[in-house]
Amino acid sequence: MSNMKTSIDPAVNYLLPLAQKAGIETAWDRFEAMKPQCGFGELGICCRICWKGPCRIDPFGNGPQKGICGADADTIVARNLARMIAAGAAAHAEHGHHVALTLLEIGEGHALPYKIKEEKKLRNIAERLNLNPEGKDIKQVAKEVALASLEDFSRQKSSIPCNWAKETLTASRVEKLVELGVMPHNIHATIAEIMHRTHVGCDADAVNILLGGLKGALADYTGMYLSTELSDVLFGIPEPVVTAANLGVLKEDAVNIAVHGHNPLLSEIVCDLAIKMNEEAKKAGAKEGINIVGICCTGNEVMMRRGIPLATNYLSQELALVTGAVDAIVVDVQCIMPSLAALKECFHTEVITTMPGNKIPGATHLEFSEETALENAAKIIKLAIDAYKRRDRSKVNIPDYKETAIVGFSAEAVLAALSKVNPEDPLKPLIDNIVNGNILGIALFAGCNNLRVTQDHNFTTIAKELARNNVLMLATGCGAGAFAKHGLMTQEATEAYAGDSLKEVLTVIGEAAGLNGPLPLVLHMGSCVDNTRAVNLAVAVANKLGVDLDKLPVVASAPEAMAEKAVAIGTWAVTLGLPTHLGIVPQVIGSPLVTEVLTEKIKDLVGGYFMVETDPKKAAVKLVAAIKERREGLGI
Amino acid sequence: MLVKKTKENRFIYVDPRRCLGCRNCELACATAYADCDLQTAVTKGLQLQPRNSVVQVDDMVMPIQCRQCEDAPCALACPTGAIYQEDGFVKINEGSCVGCKVCAMVCPFGAIIITQDINDNGNRRTKKAKARKCDLCFSRQDSDEVSCACVEACPTKAIMLVDYESYRKKIIEERGKELARAHSKTKVGWK
Ligand code: SF4
Ligand code: SF4
Ligand code: SF4
Ligand code: SF4
Repeated sequence: MSNMKTSIDPAVNYLLPLAQKAGIETAWDRFEAMKPQCGFGELGICCRICWKGPCRIDPFGNGPQKGICGADADTIVARNLARMIAAGAAAHAEHGHHVALTLLEIGEGHALPYKIKEEKKLRNIAERLNLNPEGKDIKQVAKEVALASLEDFSRQKSSIPCNWAKETLTASRVEKLVELGVMPHNIHATIAEIMHRTHVGCDADAVNILLGGLKGALADYTGMYLSTELSDVLFGIPEPVVTAANLGVLKEDAVNIAVHGHNPLLSEIVCDLAIKMNEEAKKAGAKEGINIVGICCTGNEVMMRRGIPLATNYLSQELALVTGAVDAIVVDVQCIMPSLAALKECFHTEVITTMPGNKIPGATHLEFSEETALENAAKIIKLAIDAYKRRDRSKVNIPDYKETAIVGFSAEAVLAALSKVNPEDPLKPLIDNIVNGNILGIALFAGCNNLRVTQDHNFTTIAKELARNNVLMLATGCGAGAFAKHGLMTQEATEAYAGDSLKEVLTVIGEAAGLNGPLPLVLHMGSCVDNTRAVNLAVAVANKLGVDLDKLPVVASAPEAMAEKAVAIGTWAVTLGLPTHLGIVPQVIGSPLVTEVLTEKIKDLVGGYFMVETDPKKAAVKLVAAIKERREGLGI
Repeated sequence: MLVKKTKENRFIYVDPRRCLGCRNCELACATAYADCDLQTAVTKGLQLQPRNSVVQVDDMVMPIQCRQCEDAPCALACPTGAIYQEDGFVKINEGSCVGCKVCAMVCPFGAIIITQDINDNGNRRTKKAKARKCDLCFSRQDSDEVSCACVEACPTKAIMLVDYESYRKKIIEERGKELARAHSKTKVGWK
């Protein structure tokens, strides 16, 4: 295992040799041990949908060309892909459903440790959902918004689109999606529909299955959108805040608690309580009290809203424990490596699972519920303090690496910054600068790390290239984590890497917003569930220009994609009309038909399409070309 | 003196361009030696030890197994005579093997694996580790028809059992054709 290929993160490269010396296994070791990976799986041409299988298609044409039931490579690849989208949508749906149910509880007046932090946003949402909030009590509004959101999980009439999909897109996009038959009416039903049509002996038409996949991706979009907006109502709208990222944010003299996963419902309460229990930690000998740090998207959530530093992103989560300085890692759902519990054997760290449906053997399970959140959080912090007392000082190795990061650019925050330049018409400065070419276009980077590429390398390489080309960049999820760790969410990065005209625009807005300098080079828009914040902005721009999303010089990129959620997000980005880059070859190339549809034919249907390019430099060239093509289309 | 003509050993031929790295051949090899099917082996917790191993070099993948060398270094080096030539195979008699690893050291392909048989409880005197290698499935041949588990299992037909004589004949024919074509193009005639 050569470090050249593992990561460009200095903290990772400091800790990995230590882990190796101590005989501690990490994802990088397991990746090596996994090689060679099965080619059938990589091509997407193995089917395990029924117990007659697994069936595999010989891509060389000598062996079987059909599964036992007769399904060919096209059918199998399309089914596998649609199922991944359904799984991704299910993950985001659960997340959104959970938040909406909590809002309903509050609306119904149940005594919960939660309250509505953003009344104004809640009323705005109610208006967007046509609920006429005027003059209504806030609890009533909360209840109505919650019920309207929950309707998106329960509506039976298939001709009525999901509230959150219909009200958040351009009218022409909604019309197009309805016409194509891919507009979801019910998130859960759409996921169920994919599971049905990909069952043995059902839909065998690859293109039809893919259309089902697009519908699933839009269900994903709907779940994500309501998740983000309702989380803002409960926990606050992110605003720019200066914080730090990378493992150097761990403190030797503090009880370090890492919050990891995706759902802010528990982590928010843990953060609240940590402040109250600080003295207890000091009594236990931790001079600096409690130090909360984030990992993955739970980390992004608390980073955006509270300025809590980010310890690391997905791929290096194990290394947080290898520092020997994490006393407790509290995990909720998604992207948690089960290996964390094994690492606990080598260190004193408490690994605490909190969700009934997410347990890990070897971890301490402390079940969380909305009503008992306060007690749960108190217990978690107690466990962390106890663990701190057991910490083995000789095993502590906190790498001295951290970078400043300015984060918290929700759509509202971006508009607020723009309104400092033009209070009457905040979008005007953005649009003017796009039209005059000062800003060539906008790129949204979405999450994940993947061992198939050097950690964070694709993200930073593409970003520096796009910056030079004056592309305004937004980022979410572990991509945002990568940029934060590598110092690209700073004003200095803007000075160093932005092209002249982009630098000028970012400086004008930054100065007006009182930042004493430019906006950071990459704007942190949140966790992966928050990708819809970027859509929020893009739709506002599109509506103002009177065009649909597929005309805007806006592109998306998932250069180190990995999760099923990412597959769903990428697919809805394409469905909404965006050219979307993947830096990892997706597991579909065993079917030339599916590959062609996703990279070319789909353009005629929805305007967006996938671009696959594993070389980050070439990817940047392709993204810039896609932006320029859009500009030409608009005649600018 | 009359020299008896002996046939050269057959061997496993691999086309790395076709190998997908699915390790089906490893599984097939291992279950062939465990003498049961995969599910049974897994549920019974039997030790599975393939005699081949799929390796990755850059973006090429291929299985490596015993080449059935004619002047087999392993057989020459083996102090107990456990490895020997017979009937066109480099055979191994695990009963005589003491696990000294000399064969593993001299095999130019790393084709020999020395492992303990965990199904056979060792005692404190000996761990009963033995050399294991591909013997073209000799131990599971029940007819004259040689058939290798890995070859049967490969879904892309990347591997085959090759008879050296016919392999050489084919190669010569191919090279001959190439040469002939090259000459016919240049056509330097005497006139
Ligand atoms: S659904 Fe068809 S292709 Fe898939 S495993 Fe069953 S028989 Fe094989
Ligand atoms: S085991 Fe190695 S040395 Fe022995 S015959 Fe096979 S390839 Fe040759
Ligand atoms: S010939 Fe037999 S022993 Fe050799 S690799 Fe194939 S299955 Fe294994
Ligand atoms: S079956 Fe073929 S592809 Fe799979 S490992 Fe064996 S030789 Fe390689």
